[in-house]
Amino acid sequence: MFNLSELENDALIEIFNIGVGQAAASMSAIVNEAVRMSVPSISFIPRAEAARQLGKSAGLQERICGVSQHFAGAFETEAILMFPEDKSLEIVRLMVGEAVPLKELTEMEQEAMCEIGNIMLNSCVGTLANIFQHELQGSLPQYHVGTSDQILTAGGSQAASVVLMLHIDFVLERHQIHGYVAFVLDISALRDMKQQINLYIARAMGQGQG
Amino acid sequence: MSPLRLPLLESVFRAVNLGAIVLDHERRIVLWNSWMARHSGLQGEQVAGQDFLAVCPQLRGGRMDTAIQYALYHNFPSLLSQTLNKAPLPLYARGVRIQQAVEVTPVAVAGAARHCLIQVSDVSIAVGREKLLREQAMVLRSQTFSDGLTGIANRRHFDVAMEKEHRRAKRSGTPLSLLMIDIDHFKPYNDHYGHQKGDQCLIRVATALAGLLKRPCDLMARYGGEEFATILPETGAEQARLMAEAMRARAQALAIAHARNSDPSRLVTVSIGIATQPADAPVAIEALIGAADRALYQAKRNGRNRVAV
Repeated sequence: MFNLSELENDALIEIFNIGVGQAAASMSAIVNEAVRMSVPSISFIPRAEAARQLGKSAGLQERICGVSQHFAGAFETEAILMFPEDKSLEIVRLMVGEAVPLKELTEMEQEAMCEIGNIMLNSCVGTLANIFQHELQGSLPQYHVGTSDQILTAGGSQAASVVLMLHIDFVLERHQIHGYVAFVLDISALRDMKQQINLYIARAMGQGQG
Repeated sequence: MSPLRLPLLESVFRAVNLGAIVLDHERRIVLWNSWMARHSGLQGEQVAGQDFLAVCPQLRGGRMDTAIQYALYHNFPSLLSQTLNKAPLPLYARGVRIQQAVEVTPVAVAGAARHCLIQVSDVSIAVGREKLLREQAMVLRSQTFSDGLTGIANRRHFDVAMEKEHRRAKRSGTPLSLLMIDIDHFKPYNDHYGHQKGDQCLIRVATALAGLLKRPCDLMARYGGEEFATILPETGAEQARLMAEAMRARAQALAIAHARNSDPSRLVTVSIGIATQPADAPVAIEALIGAADRALYQAKRNGRNRVAV
């Protein structure tokens, strides 16, 4: 299995915290209220295991809402922001500031959820691209609802893929909501990413000494 | 390649039935299609070559500004939903501002720095449809949100409305007032006249006091046994006091006999506690309710049938 050294792990957590910090600032500007987001931990796990963990966190029979974007360039990945369905209702309705007594996101709310995902994913991948000093291309966000397995395979990835899973804490008003960002990577993408992390660390260390 | 291809593509771009704008790497307007001209009142020739943010200065620093930067400098597309971005561009159809969904996409150009394409869709019809859906769902829900005895809002409705109005007050910077209302010596009333009379008393007081609220955003709810709460959005301390005083007088004017009341009128009376959250100093919901509760307690201690702050 793919393992990161403690240094690589800390470097990635720091990079992603910068990314979600920027996303939180954009969202605060939209809703005119304090939005805070952080990434407390990350892990690399096989896709099937990621689906199992997500399924467990969402509870039996619970569907997951996902917003995905495809990125290509220095490394290729399907990036997906995911929340259990009830949490996605909570987030969108908190952001919009209106209570809608419906158990599913309406069409317009799905689009709002897409925008939330778009802000998050662009910020996270944008920060990665900056730090790796490589440009990536991104697609427009897509909205999905289904089981964790369906969401993680929506981009057409192979069973052998690995998922870089970010745990996200999202705080708005007095609500704290837990969600995930998954980067689905195939073996070569994984190698590319690891290489980029090491280049970044080498540069950072070099600067520290110089 | 057919020599007609380029002029054809340009004509198609002009003719597509949604707003389409192309900006160059310096954010200058390169293309502005007929849909945009029709709904903005600005012709393509007028805006060509101008900085997009000079043409639409209200977008500066906002989400659209960021989305354009992401497309031009990071190569990432963005989506601006109607729900989170209320009609960002000044576009009108039949005198009404168009509800918009916007996509900002990077466009690679051979031999030049990256451009971006802004697509604007009119989603006014979908917005109207969802508004209707939401209203109907609210009507259905209100049936589980009313108090079975008095017909006014129940405690659950109060909690939801309080949360909503509290957030709205914070966002819009407006004051919010809360009244806690309690029927004086209600337990002795029940003991003396029986529970049926007690219920009738609750219904009459609730209906009469709720009838004084004229704005749709005001809410009167049954908070507990003989206790009622009134949410008054966009209402300062002085207006809240006037409303509380009107309610106190209205309860007494019902002239329901109450032999065991300490008030010399020997009629059913109410005590009211008022709390106001000023526009510039929002407090937590619990603190606002606590303040109204304490004021109610003060009104009781001062002799009942009165209003306290």
